[in-house]
Amino acid sequence: MLAQLLVSSLTAGAVYALIALGFVLLHNGTGVVHFGYGDQVTFGAYLVLIAQNFVGVPFSAAIMMALLASMALGAAIYAVFMVPLRNASLLARLIATLAIGTALREWLRAFMGPNAWPFPFLLSPAPVEVGGLMLVPANLAIIGVVLVILAGLYLFFEKTLQGKAILAACENRTGASLIGVRVSRVFLVIWVVASLLATVAGILVAPLLTLSPDMGLIAIKGFTAAVLGGFSSLPGAVVGGLLLGVLEALTGAYISTALKDMISYAILIAVILVRPQGLFGGLALKKV
Amino acid sequence: MTGKTLLFAVTGIGLFFALPHMLADFQLFQVCLIAVTALIALGLTVVTGLAGQVSLAQAAFVGIGGYGAAILATRWGVPLWAGIPLSGIVAAMAGFVLGQVTLRVSGHYLALATMAVTAIVQLAFIHMDDITGGAAGMPVPSFEIGGRALTSGGELYYVIVPTTAVLFLIVGNIIRSRFGRAFAATRQSEIAVAAMGVDVLRYKALAFAGSAFLGAVGGGLLAPLASYLDPMQFGIPQSIYYMAIAVVGGLRSPAGAIIGAVVFILIPEFLQAFQSYLGLVFALLLLGFIVLWPNGLSGLIFRRPGARWWGGAAR
Repeated sequence: MLAQLLVSSLTAGAVYALIALGFVLLHNGTGVVHFGYGDQVTFGAYLVLIAQNFVGVPFSAAIMMALLASMALGAAIYAVFMVPLRNASLLARLIATLAIGTALREWLRAFMGPNAWPFPFLLSPAPVEVGGLMLVPANLAIIGVVLVILAGLYLFFEKTLQGKAILAACENRTGASLIGVRVSRVFLVIWVVASLLATVAGILVAPLLTLSPDMGLIAIKGFTAAVLGGFSSLPGAVVGGLLLGVLEALTGAYISTALKDMISYAILIAVILVRPQGLFGGLALKKV
Repeated sequence: MTGKTLLFAVTGIGLFFALPHMLADFQLFQVCLIAVTALIALGLTVVTGLAGQVSLAQAAFVGIGGYGAAILATRWGVPLWAGIPLSGIVAAMAGFVLGQVTLRVSGHYLALATMAVTAIVQLAFIHMDDITGGAAGMPVPSFEIGGRALTSGGELYYVIVPTTAVLFLIVGNIIRSRFGRAFAATRQSEIAVAAMGVDVLRYKALAFAGSAFLGAVGGGLLAPLASYLDPMQFGIPQSIYYMAIAVVGGLRSPAGAIIGAVVFILIPEFLQAFQSYLGLVFALLLLGFIVLWPNGLSGLIFRRPGARWWGGAAR
């Protein structure tokens, strides 16, 4: 019972981890905390439906179109909103990302309707029994994708010159441009990649959750995962996500289902209060 | 009292008594809705516009005000005129505690923490079925004063509009006092202000307490006006909606809260044929203003440098 519970909870945890990876990538790469990221996840899943139902292409081609469209969306968000706001206060940028998310969500509500849409699984949702545990291929795929993305991003940032240039550009914009890093292009690439990740997450997550315009509100759990992991650590985001999934499932099973949702918000507040650097992040000192 | 303020006061009071004779009941209902919304947005003017602390907990305070007053009335028979300020005080204490949180965090962590507060409060409304009516919501008892039940917008007008006006005057005066200057200085440089001997933490916590009180009183007055409490009205999207009102109106001045409320309550009237696009219009308004005119409409209207409290750029 407990083993089965843990295996199932890992799926939810992987979903949070996937969203947290996007947050951390954007935060590390551009210094922006994107409060509309969850809505971009939802939007990505809807893009597939739009391509399928309104353009009339088959499912696989629709996924390709959605991925391309989301890259364009990421570039547009950067060029239209983030460039004019690059010197704005944190408050203005924070409200702007909230507004971008709300605009995407309300656009979906206006044009795709407020009701849920069915979304097909990429892999079989039928459980397979392995050693007494019921495993669902579609759910395992999410965990696999999370690990692949984590490995890819981690190697890129730690082992390549490009990745280090990005970290440098984020740390000190002026310094990075002095040594020849094209900061604006670096930020553009990060926005494109993060938007692509959002759509990948949306396509994987939509069949598990209910795909309605409000699906993006789950992003606050992705935030919790990212905060738990330290907000600047990619492996931390994944561990934070999985940990949150397990904690939620345990609370739901052994304490009360009503507390299941509350626990992640409580964890968010508690971590921010007690250990704002997260479980893995280093303590950042603010210099005067 | 200078001649100008006297003129304003006389016009205001005259208008207050003239409006019920000029407007239909539904229009008075809208005036009430604008007043209540402005009051809630005024809370954000205080905490975000003045003290510079982002708060996405406003919908939670509005909910605490509404549910608090309604529960006090149905369970313990406390009349709404007493229950609303009482819930306001409880919310202010909660806000004060929340303000203490800002000792350690600011910026996006504060936004996240206040978001989480809203989510927790909303879940509490949904799961405490026996006192809040759960996901189905609860009806609000009518506002009784001196044995007379005020039910329509035209009757509640005489309670809501004066209350709002008094609270706006109080906040306007606080802004021009020592407190207001300390808030503004905190926003510009916390370190400099602390070096001047201002207890930054206490001021931040007070700003949160004030915004919570205004939000809860607004919520308490909104409850009898709407006559029904639905927990879905107190979630994170609603917090963003109040933020949009404050930003579009202008975060820097109390006038901005009123302008924003007028715009957001009257737009649905002009877009009646496009109800499903309302949310999109509001979101695009917020996005457009934060990028192009971060000082909001009041910043565009009162573009006088050094004018009382609405000077300065929001960036």
